[in-house]
Amino acid sequence: MVHLEKVEYKPIPVRDLLVEMKDISELMIDLAYSAALFHSPELAEEVLELEEHIDKLAYILGMNAMLAARDAEDAEALVGVSVVAAAANKISDAAADIAAIVLQEIGIHPIVREAFQKVEERLIRVAVKPGSILTGQRLEELELAARIGVDIIAIRRGKRWILNPDDEETAREKDVLVARGAPMGVEEFKRLADGTVQKLED
Amino acid sequence: MAPPKRPFKRIVDKLVELKDTSELMMDLAYSSLLLNSHRLAEEVQELEEHVDELHTEFELLVLSSGFKKEESRDFLGLIRLGVVTEKIADAASEIAGVVLRGLEPHPVLKLVIEEAEETVARVQVARESSLIGKTLRDAQIPEETGMWVLSIRRGRRWIRPKPDVMIKTGDILIASGYAEGEEDLVRLASAETTH
Repeated sequence: MVHLEKVEYKPIPVRDLLVEMKDISELMIDLAYSAALFHSPELAEEVLELEEHIDKLAYILGMNAMLAARDAEDAEALVGVSVVAAAANKISDAAADIAAIVLQEIGIHPIVREAFQKVEERLIRVAVKPGSILTGQRLEELELAARIGVDIIAIRRGKRWILNPDDEETAREKDVLVARGAPMGVEEFKRLADGTVQKLED
Repeated sequence: MAPPKRPFKRIVDKLVELKDTSELMMDLAYSSLLLNSHRLAEEVQELEEHVDELHTEFELLVLSSGFKKEESRDFLGLIRLGVVTEKIADAASEIAGVVLRGLEPHPVLKLVIEEAEETVARVQVARESSLIGKTLRDAQIPEETGMWVLSIRRGRRWIRPKPDVMIKTGDILIASGYAEGEEDLVRLASAETTH
């Protein structure tokens, strides 16, 4: 029997719920492709957990949006919010579909994966080498997004995964970083992580 | 293991094109809401049609690649990845639909997207622009403007922003970055010289 947790109403602003749904669904897409590209069932599992979380948020958002509408005008204004929430939910479903491909061993052939990694230039997985300038500074200070257009979406530290690391996090030697960004920024990021480039341009 | 065959490369190229296009659509769709921009929303709908075509080409490539019976699971994986990109493109198109139906985006939506601090700009490159004839690498757009080119639209084609792509007159640069960079990008793409 399928058991789904009952979702209870919580008074959370629609805005906060939608921000979370949008951010998480986008993160999930990147994580899911990374799981496929770099063959990581653990990462795929994380994606499925996030999917569960998004489903709950969608229910709570629906409840709050209904309560927010007092008249026809409100309803007209709010319907856009529910369309966008539904789209974010659909995006998270799509990410979960990718995760399922990885987990069900339908699989992606190693040759395909290799070709995929060569052509795909927006996602990268790289280990932090000793002496890389990425270590020792908080992500906030590195300002990778502003400087090279790259976001770290996950850190693998030993057996642990840190998803969507916050600004206070600091990369350490041997961490495996999964990042996404514009192709040229991603190349630069790789060189920063492996220590070939020792300076971040402003 | 046999060395990679040619068809694989074409299949994967097409898949990555689908992936990039569906992600571009998401960025454009959210920005169309933020800016209440019909132009960006229409671009999303045009891309949706483009994705449909790409997806068909992709599926035909996979199905005609002459795979062996024992490889069918791997090829099923590919087919399903293609379906995922299509699903993402649909979601983006639904978001853009809110704008095209003339529903004034709810203030909440603007707040949600502004939270991201990033914006998408769509800028046409004038004949007199200093960018003409330069490759993306040499154009140094991120250094000059803080904006990253997501795609280059040339007529009915959307070109992936590889470093060696040459910028031509009339190209439309679709770029994302912090809102302040947009003005610089407009200046760079237009005739004005600032130096």
